[in-house]
Amino acid sequence: MQSVIVQDHAIPVGELITSTELELPQTIVNTVAERFFSTTTLDAIALVEEKKPVGLVTRTKLLFAMFRRFGFELYGKNPILSIADKTPLIVPENKPLHEVIDMALERPPQDIYDEIIVVYPDGSYRGLLSIKQLVIQQSNALANNILQKEIASARAQELEKISQVKSQFLANVTHELRSPVNAIIGLAELLRMAAEKNSMEQIKERLAFMISSAANLRAIITNILDLSKIEAGKMDVVFQTVNASAIVAEVAETTRILVGKKPVSVTVSAPATPIMVTTDPIKLRQIVMNLASNAAKFTESGTIAVTLSIIGNKLEIAVTDSGMGIKEEHLDKLFTAFGQIEDAKTKQHEGTGLGLTISKNFAELIGGSISVSSVFGKGTTFTVALPLQNIERQGGLYNAE
Amino acid sequence: MQNKKSIKKKVLVVDDDEMHLYTTKELLQDDRIEVITHKSKYGIGVTNLVRELQPDLILLDVNMPGLSGDKLAKLLRWRHSPFIFYSSNDEDSLRELASRHGAKGYICKGDIAELKNRVNTYLSEQVSTPLYEHILTKIM
Repeated sequence: MQSVIVQDHAIPVGELITSTELELPQTIVNTVAERFFSTTTLDAIALVEEKKPVGLVTRTKLLFAMFRRFGFELYGKNPILSIADKTPLIVPENKPLHEVIDMALERPPQDIYDEIIVVYPDGSYRGLLSIKQLVIQQSNALANNILQKEIASARAQELEKISQVKSQFLANVTHELRSPVNAIIGLAELLRMAAEKNSMEQIKERLAFMISSAANLRAIITNILDLSKIEAGKMDVVFQTVNASAIVAEVAETTRILVGKKPVSVTVSAPATPIMVTTDPIKLRQIVMNLASNAAKFTESGTIAVTLSIIGNKLEIAVTDSGMGIKEEHLDKLFTAFGQIEDAKTKQHEGTGLGLTISKNFAELIGGSISVSSVFGKGTTFTVALPLQNIERQGGLYNAE
Repeated sequence: MQNKKSIKKKVLVVDDDEMHLYTTKELLQDDRIEVITHKSKYGIGVTNLVRELQPDLILLDVNMPGLSGDKLAKLLRWRHSPFIFYSSNDEDSLRELASRHGAKGYICKGDIAELKNRVNTYLSEQVSTPLYEHILTKIM
């Protein structure tokens, strides 16, 4: 029964045929009775003449007739048509299940369990349909229907949730874009004021601020575009063999610039020999840079350590800072875009979370992963792990397999 | 000189965005208005600063990390310090929030004309409102 997939109860009955048994109407009753005796699974036989059904014999009715007093003598030698039901229910194969059930149930009580004859559009015999089968199909269809309704409502709820997340995302994106745009508007006005006063010093200062605000705006827009590319599955990955140590060293150098005047030392530790990796270097660089720039942003004093190591069958790049740390309950939301801002009005943490979301997706795109551990107040470690089959060192290939 | 400075109205701007503090200060301050900015990442020290400076008006960001503007507003209201909400979100819900928390108004970031207009209007209207309010709440 399970193999029959019922979409809904409008299924045509032609697909549910249980038997194609038939006899000529002239066949002698005894012969037909013999068939019923020898084949216990046979429930009914259609009487067909020149392909057209003319009657129906069911096991129960035939045996009832035969076993009554003198049944054999009375009917045994007659053609089967004489004791058959000459007005069986005949339905075209394309009639939907629920209509056939209605018709079957409208029959007189003594006929209600009789098989139904199904015919081709031209009226020729196609097969028999047992009422048992109809009932099973009907209940299957109903169960399916309920299941489908449940699935549909679950999907509707899911879609609604997605659309809620999307609109919240949009609201947050708009908010994030507004800050730099507002800064640029303010700075433009201030530039105009400075120009009126002919104060070259102010003009220079404000232009520098304006450039950094515009760069900030561009960074946010790039992030949003990256994220939508990832979501649409359109982010391309280009693999290349590169020296991972060089990427790490380069990132550390940029981090030193980001740290600026804060008393934070940036350290790098990596094996002395180059670590050659087959990966997408642009993505890898962006991931590590994002982690390092976050560390620079949240660390007021102490150290930022970038460590490259081979652990087991993985290449790991860890960025450890001595910043303020992240509370445990916030860790799982880190990698969700705007995860920190549940609502623009109750913002708890700085930043959009866009960078980390992108990093996580990039790491997965190049076959790796990102993990985080943190002690609130002490510092945070983000670790990028890449599978070893992508790692080669000078000369040899590290491969666990 | 000393005398002239004391006549200046004091406006305190609290926000977590440095660039925003800079532009607001540069845009507002003139020979009548002194602008003090306070970069507050978690709203730390704002109420103490208010007590110390006794500003004539506070421009308050509505969503700073850690301590949101509406929580801060509750604290300030308790201290009878006049404040205006200042946010980059232009939403009716925030305007409502502003009036519910007893803010003297709501300014959308990036609207320079509105900023100057609101602040100047408030400062010129304000004679002894805080004191009056103060007495009123004492009586009640």
